[in-house]
Amino acid sequence: MKPRVAVFSLTSCEGCSLAILELENQLLQILGAVDLVNFREGMTERSWDIDVAFVDGAVSTPHDEEEIRRIREHCGTLVAIGACACLGGVNTLKHDPARPDYRRVVYGDRADWFPTTRARPLSAVVKVDAELPGCPMVKEEFLELVRCLLNGRPFRLPANPVCTECKKLGNPCLYERGEICLGPLTRAGCRAICPSFGSACEACRGLVDGDALRAGREVFSTQYVVPWEKVVARLRLYGAYPESAEPVAAAVAGGAS
Amino acid sequence: MSARILNRGELLRLIDEAACDRRLIGPMRRGEHAFYEAANRAAELDLEGPPCVYSPKNHFFPPEETLLTFERKSRSFVTRTVRHETSTALVAVRPCEVHGIRLLDHVFGAAPSDEGYLARRRATFIIALDCFRPCRDEAFCGDLGTNTAHLGFDLMIRRLSDAEDEPRGAERFELTSATEDGASLLSRTRLGRAADRDDLDAARAYDHRKAAAFPRRLACEADDLPDVAQRGYASDIWERTAARCYSCGSCNLACPTCYCFNLRDEVSLDGKSGARVREWDGCQLREFALVAGGHNFRAAPAERLRHRVMRKASWIAQRTGLPGCVGCGRCDRVCTAKISLVEILNTLAREQDHDHAGHT
Amino acid sequence: MTTLDTLELRETRDPYEPAVARLIETEPLTELERLFVFEPSDGQALGHRPGQFVQVWIPGVGEAPISICSSPTRGRTFELCVRRVGEVTSHLHRLTAGEEIGVRGPLGNGFDMTVMQGGNVLVIAGGLGLAPARSVIEYVLDERARFDEFHVLYGARSPAELLFRHDLIRWRHRAAIHLLVTVDRPDEQWRGRSGVVTKLFADLPRLNPERTCAVVIGPPVMFKFVVVELLARGIPQDRIFCSLERRMRCGIGKCGHCQINADYVCVDGPVFTYERMRELPEAVT
Repeated sequence: MKPRVAVFSLTSCEGCSLAILELENQLLQILGAVDLVNFREGMTERSWDIDVAFVDGAVSTPHDEEEIRRIREHCGTLVAIGACACLGGVNTLKHDPARPDYRRVVYGDRADWFPTTRARPLSAVVKVDAELPGCPMVKEEFLELVRCLLNGRPFRLPANPVCTECKKLGNPCLYERGEICLGPLTRAGCRAICPSFGSACEACRGLVDGDALRAGREVFSTQYVVPWEKVVARLRLYGAYPESAEPVAAAVAGGAS
Repeated sequence: MSARILNRGELLRLIDEAACDRRLIGPMRRGEHAFYEAANRAAELDLEGPPCVYSPKNHFFPPEETLLTFERKSRSFVTRTVRHETSTALVAVRPCEVHGIRLLDHVFGAAPSDEGYLARRRATFIIALDCFRPCRDEAFCGDLGTNTAHLGFDLMIRRLSDAEDEPRGAERFELTSATEDGASLLSRTRLGRAADRDDLDAARAYDHRKAAAFPRRLACEADDLPDVAQRGYASDIWERTAARCYSCGSCNLACPTCYCFNLRDEVSLDGKSGARVREWDGCQLREFALVAGGHNFRAAPAERLRHRVMRKASWIAQRTGLPGCVGCGRCDRVCTAKISLVEILNTLAREQDHDHAGHT
Repeated sequence: MTTLDTLELRETRDPYEPAVARLIETEPLTELERLFVFEPSDGQALGHRPGQFVQVWIPGVGEAPISICSSPTRGRTFELCVRRVGEVTSHLHRLTAGEEIGVRGPLGNGFDMTVMQGGNVLVIAGGLGLAPARSVIEYVLDERARFDEFHVLYGARSPAELLFRHDLIRWRHRAAIHLLVTVDRPDEQWRGRSGVVTKLFADLPRLNPERTCAVVIGPPVMFKFVVVELLARGIPQDRIFCSLERRMRCGIGKCGHCQINADYVCVDGPVFTYERMRELPEAVT
């Protein structure tokens, strides 16, 4: 029996769903191995008998919350894809009390027509079985997860930071140019795509773990003139800075207003 | 084997000669950095610039490689070993890097030998380039004696004249060999001339200049390093320093003498075929000492930092008789937390001097 | 061709290429452990020493190091006792007779049985440690005339976790071996000894320490207490042989994963004398 697969989108650009379609050659192989039963970006048929659901987007509205609960109820395995679904993503920028204007910029004078909640990762609302972080998610990692699901193997994200990938690729370190790159704090798996093209890592795949955050605080308070608060502000772009570490976040907000 | 003296043009032609039936790899400049990359002709190589950002170890020991492929039958399987060596001339390898390669030769060559590594190694003709002054502040090769190499290459280039005292084009390059292959190329070539008395004088002057050019950075003798490290095993320096260690493994992966790796299986979508893959690993990475069942034998960054320093300063030398650290300073350079191997060793040495003075 | 100054040129089998072994039979030992009997497909015995291990490979899943639990004196087959703890071992547990796996080895140093010849052998095993210990026990029983007194102390957590029950019963009834068994947590049916394995030392006869070798295999916590008992009985440090567990990957002293201090468990071990272990603070953590 082929697994019945569905793809859903909550608040997001749906770029991660589209990334599935961009798999092209491999997509045909995957479609031979699974039954796609629900995918707005790729088909019109809808079914709610689902083995594996891939969901991109953050839980950012009351409707998102209903939707993700409904998906959870109807699927066996729930996979969060992309920074929004795994971390909250750029949607979490609206939490910054120092920037109440974000909603006005997005929705203009009709902001009140669109009720929103705090933007949360799926895991804050329902149980998530696997996460594929990144903005967008990494296609190769998606393939690896599918291979694992089809072969009954456990899937695990890399436990190393992006630096390992820069070293394997032979990239020069951006710190040598005086740039602050979030690579040492960020979970690998993206093949260091930003540093490979000369841009600093922005932690779209989330922190590698809490130890990296502790080390970062120590490094920036003793070795660099760049204040830790500035690093935290950058970690917040995709929601990589954990909500549980709020004290520093408050300090940032206070400092900025 | 007597030395041969070449001018710049002749040197480039000799390199091209060595690479005529081989792929040419050497320092290629990208902006301010150089990297060991493929070139068409020796003239494209940057033989004057700084040493490459990373050592050439990835040429023999790639960051990721397939060791074997497999196909699964219903109740059995077949495997096929994968080999991928290309005949290569590797040019401008620095003495510290030659020492690094010698260590890899020792480790991968020890029985049971790693035939994939050896195949690549045997297919590589190494033209080394001596350093007449330290390349960077982080380097302490002079303290370790790894700023000079006598073995582990086919040919060694030494620029007997300083760039300052002779105009470009008129420099004298001395070539010596350490292998039969190297000697045979030198005896075959019509380029340049045999070294004469004046060249020998210039070589002696070069040695003097070089000896004076490398300042001391290590606070103890190289021979004492293993003891300094061992005595520091219980020091609180590991805890103190590791507070800012990201466990990113950059020091490992950039180190010419780090050779640890992981093995894993990759499998096709239908599970019927796949590959056994080797990839670089490092003792500073979180899961390096994780075992089945979930226990991590070096869960704390401090334990991992100590492990690395002990390996570099003591354990590798103890096991192989070769330097575990070649003093290139790459670990210090790539550490964004600014943890310095030399500083750790020097702090330990000074603490021990101090303790010793206190007790007597 | 480049002549390498440190290397002799040789053409050998790739050390990462596994040999093939066929599963002959398998039986459950406890809820978590199964016994597997394998036969190398080339028909040649492994030629192992007691205490050595193999890297078992399930294509597409990975490798896991497993101690050989049978004696080399028992013919062409070899036996593995496997606890289901990870992916590879879970796959192994699902294997049925006739299926093939990859095997690299035997690897590691194993026990040097010749040093133990002519004297007394005292084996202390805890938990899964009985698996590698069984290769020593069977070896001594098969070569009984070469050894003097033979004592085996075995401790398991509970009666349900006792391994090799059939063997334990056989061994108990043989004059050639003196076996003492204890469980930490007895149940209502248990009529044997209870408590940690070190309590069994009280029931050991006096042994001439200069003529005794001890084999210690078990979880790290057990080592410290057992070694204290052995030293108190005067057994020299270089005649106490401990087998350590680490996650060996390459198994041939290269990949670095099983390194403890200066030593590589996969080639310098897994058997270490207590004398050497004292130099390895990371050995028992």
